[in-house]
Amino acid sequence: MHNDEHDHKHCLKLFDRLSEYLDNELDDVTCTDIEKHVKECVPCFVCLQTLKRTIDLCKQTENRPVPKAFSKKLKEVIQNMPKTPSP
Amino acid sequence: MTVPKRANRKKIKDKDFELIRAINSGQFDRFPELVKRYEQKLYNFSLRMCRDATDAEDTVQEIFLNVFRYLKDFRYEAKFKNWLYRVAASTCIKKRRKSKFAPERELSLDEFISQDEAEGPNQVPNWALMPLDKLLNDELLDKINQAIFSLPEKYRLVIVLRDIEGFSTAETGQILNLSAANVKVRLHRARLFLRDKLKGYFEDA
Repeated sequence: MHNDEHDHKHCLKLFDRLSEYLDNELDDVTCTDIEKHVKECVPCFVCLQTLKRTIDLCKQTENRPVPKAFSKKLKEVIQNMPKTPSP
Repeated sequence: MTVPKRANRKKIKDKDFELIRAINSGQFDRFPELVKRYEQKLYNFSLRMCRDATDAEDTVQEIFLNVFRYLKDFRYEAKFKNWLYRVAASTCIKKRRKSKFAPERELSLDEFISQDEAEGPNQVPNWALMPLDKLLNDELLDKINQAIFSLPEKYRLVIVLRDIEGFSTAETGQILNLSAANVKVRLHRARLFLRDKLKGYFEDA
């Protein structure tokens, strides 16, 4: 997270905003501040890269198909519902 | 007492607009079309939120029953998909409250900070540098799913909606009735929690 050459408080402040940075939800000034900081602070750079990879991996999780038996059961339940929603 | 007239808000005409309007105008036989359209999405959402597949199936069924019950209240002021996930999330939360789970653990930012400080990483690990397609395999995907599942529910809901379902911060806030700031805090902690699980997995490998 920090090393001796850097202001620890600054690291912590930026650590808090890394997700927003990766989501493009920060103003230009804060973005520039983060970019400048991670160029100089290796632990913060590592933190940013591993966080980014975590998000990429999370987005890769696959969707399972609906089991046919359940799909059939769901269809039956829906068909057997009262034809008008309850008040 | 006179009820103030509802503000005439613009209706959102998304891909579900015609179908919902048809169902709400009495064509209830078209409801199965809506089920077909969303059953896979809601099944996977429920799998990520429930203890097991049976529980997920019960949840999907309950979500669609709730959708049928409350569809007439849908005002077309949001995308239908967002309204649907609002019903889905609230069904999951209510279902959890009825069960006898232990209270949820809070994730604090400090626990992630202190770990990094202790380790003092000085280079980007291989797993964050390798091309994604070289890194991905069934075991890793399984590990990620397990890690997502081990998150406390309130963090899991946010990361599933944001990073898996692709909703924006504002949409996630509307779905879960949370401020954007709260969504961001929970998302950041959830991601850091997953990052730590992945770090552990790759370091042990």
